[in-house]
Amino acid sequence: MIVPIEHLLVISTILFVLGLACVIVRRSLIMILIGAEIMLNAVGLTLVGAAAFWQRIDAQIMVIFLMAMTSAEVSISLAMVVYLQRRKNSIDVRAFDEMRG
Amino acid sequence: MAVLLTLTLLLPLAGGIINACFGNRLPRPVPVIIACGSVIASFLACLGALPGAGGEGLRVTLFSWMSSGTFQADIGLLFDPLAAIMTLMVTGVASLIHLYAAGYMEEDPDQTRFFALLNLFVFAMLTIVLADNLLLMFLGWEGVGFCSYGLIGFWYRQSENAEAGRKAFIVTRIGDLFFTVGLLWLFKLFGTIGIEAINGRATELDPLTVTLVALLLLGGACGKSAQLPLMTWLPDAMAGPTPVSALIHAATMVTAGVYLLCRMFPLVSLSPLALGAIALIGVLTALYAATCALGQREIKRVLAYSTMSQVGYMFLAVGVGSVSAAMFHLLTHAFFKALLFMAAGCVINLAGHENDIYLMGGMRRRSQTVFWLFLAGLVCLAGAPLTGGFFSKDMILAAAYAKGSPFYLTIYGLGVATAALTSFYSFKLGYLVFAGDYRGEELPHELPGLMTWPLVPLAVLGLFGGLLNLPHLFGGHSWLSAWLVRQGDVLDLPVAVEYRLTGLAIAVFVLGWLLAHLRYYRFKARESGVLSEFLLAGWRFDGLYRRLLIRPFNGFGRFCWQGLEEGLVNGLLDGMAATFVSWGQSLRLLANGRISSYLQGFIWGLLIIVGWFLLRAVA
Repeated sequence: MIVPIEHLLVISTILFVLGLACVIVRRSLIMILIGAEIMLNAVGLTLVGAAAFWQRIDAQIMVIFLMAMTSAEVSISLAMVVYLQRRKNSIDVRAFDEMRG
Repeated sequence: MAVLLTLTLLLPLAGGIINACFGNRLPRPVPVIIACGSVIASFLACLGALPGAGGEGLRVTLFSWMSSGTFQADIGLLFDPLAAIMTLMVTGVASLIHLYAAGYMEEDPDQTRFFALLNLFVFAMLTIVLADNLLLMFLGWEGVGFCSYGLIGFWYRQSENAEAGRKAFIVTRIGDLFFTVGLLWLFKLFGTIGIEAINGRATELDPLTVTLVALLLLGGACGKSAQLPLMTWLPDAMAGPTPVSALIHAATMVTAGVYLLCRMFPLVSLSPLALGAIALIGVLTALYAATCALGQREIKRVLAYSTMSQVGYMFLAVGVGSVSAAMFHLLTHAFFKALLFMAAGCVINLAGHENDIYLMGGMRRRSQTVFWLFLAGLVCLAGAPLTGGFFSKDMILAAAYAKGSPFYLTIYGLGVATAALTSFYSFKLGYLVFAGDYRGEELPHELPGLMTWPLVPLAVLGLFGGLLNLPHLFGGHSWLSAWLVRQGDVLDLPVAVEYRLTGLAIAVFVLGWLLAHLRYYRFKARESGVLSEFLLAGWRFDGLYRRLLIRPFNGFGRFCWQGLEEGLVNGLLDGMAATFVSWGQSLRLLANGRISSYLQGFIWGLLIIVGWFLLRAVA
């Protein structure tokens, strides 16, 4: 393997933390969704790295599944964003706090 | 015979139920006719059943009321000589009073309720009299208490009337508690509550138990009969309509205590201590009430205190062991006191609904009939020679004298002093009401005929009631003692002693009369002063009880209410609730509805878990 596994893990951890920070900090729903995508891709990157490291095909299959699931998730999420935008005329996450105690 | 006896009991019940359920839908005179008719029919049925009462008496068991294990209570009637004479008196006097009430309540809008309660009262009283077991007797005992409560507070729209009813109910309840405990104890001792069975087996008990049981029964009797120390309710009970005072608070219910003691006499008589207590309570009440009667201003309250005093004499008779003297005085007293109360009702009517005897006077000119009827009652009460009251009171005092011991001689002395006081206040009442000129400003109200003629038979019975038990000294044969199979009660004193006792009784009567004549023949002024205020307030017993019992009780109640309930229990619960609310208030800040803060929670949780596993792995 050209790239050492450690580098790969560091990269994917950084990606994951960036995605997480995006999800937590941003207020726009779309940015939150992007953060989630970044986190998923960080996981996918780790899986690919692991497949290359152990020379096993399973993890790569897993990544295919992950991509399929992600695309489905994104289409549903975006549909919901459109719906929410219609409902409150806003995609600011603070507007959707009806579950506040 | 058995059917007649059952009818005697059930007719007033039927009348009461019909009036209570349908009375208001019936046209006006019908409820009155039902009420009077049922009681008069009951009296006639009792007369018919009378021959069965001789000797062993008549027993009827209607049905089994309750039975559980060895416990068995029947609705059973025992019609022995004692019960027979009492039943006859109750139904007879009640009949006359019902007729009087028909006149008295003619215009009252609540007539039906009145007559329903009055009929129910007669039924409950007959239950006491005829019951063959203590539990059934207790049922009647509570029944008369309830009817008395309902009738004292009959005009409940004035709150003092309702209050008087409550007072009577609550004070007699204290006595009932003693009776209940005595009843249960007797059941535990004998395994039965039959009156005859208990009386028959009373000798099996040890002296201490007998004394305690007898004192418990005495406590019950004191409550119902308004004896010391449970006597404060009777004067206030005069808030009820006059026929009620005549029937319940003079002739029948207040004598129930005496009847109970006579009924249980074979048991009670086994304890000399209890007998002494009965005699002492009786004579002290007689003296106390006679002094109070001196200071009263309302005509009915004078009579109420005199009732208490006369019932005290009956207790004294039981205490000296003379059941027939007690029953004799009970009978003559029922006649003349019912007469006095009903005549007092007439007098109040004549005086234009004025109760105060100091605002009366000259009533003789307003109605000769009422004057003579009232006078007949007064001379019986005062113990004028040859009237019924004279013979019965004399028999009691002679029985006390014949006991001989210093204790009973003291009681005899107090009894004689009371007799003098009785004569004094009776004639004081008579002079203030009838002599001289009218001092008030009211015009007389019309007297219906029904309010005067039922009094005539009572006057005759009162005046000639002495014939029932005329002593040998006057050529009689002590019929009542023989009928009650209590020949032992006929005293066998030397003739000289009997003359001396009779002479003394006449002397105190004349003394009381003379003093009253000198002082009240010409009305001078309303009495005032510390002593008369003291007597008017009944020796301030009400105030004493208020201070000793009611205020501490109220204080205790307030402590339980504001201290225990509101303070401790509510405070504890409220405090707990407030704590949880404040916790909840701070916890709800966590659920702020923002996904990002929830996610933070996830992350921190995840970090902790991961950290934990890492530490585990390192260690």
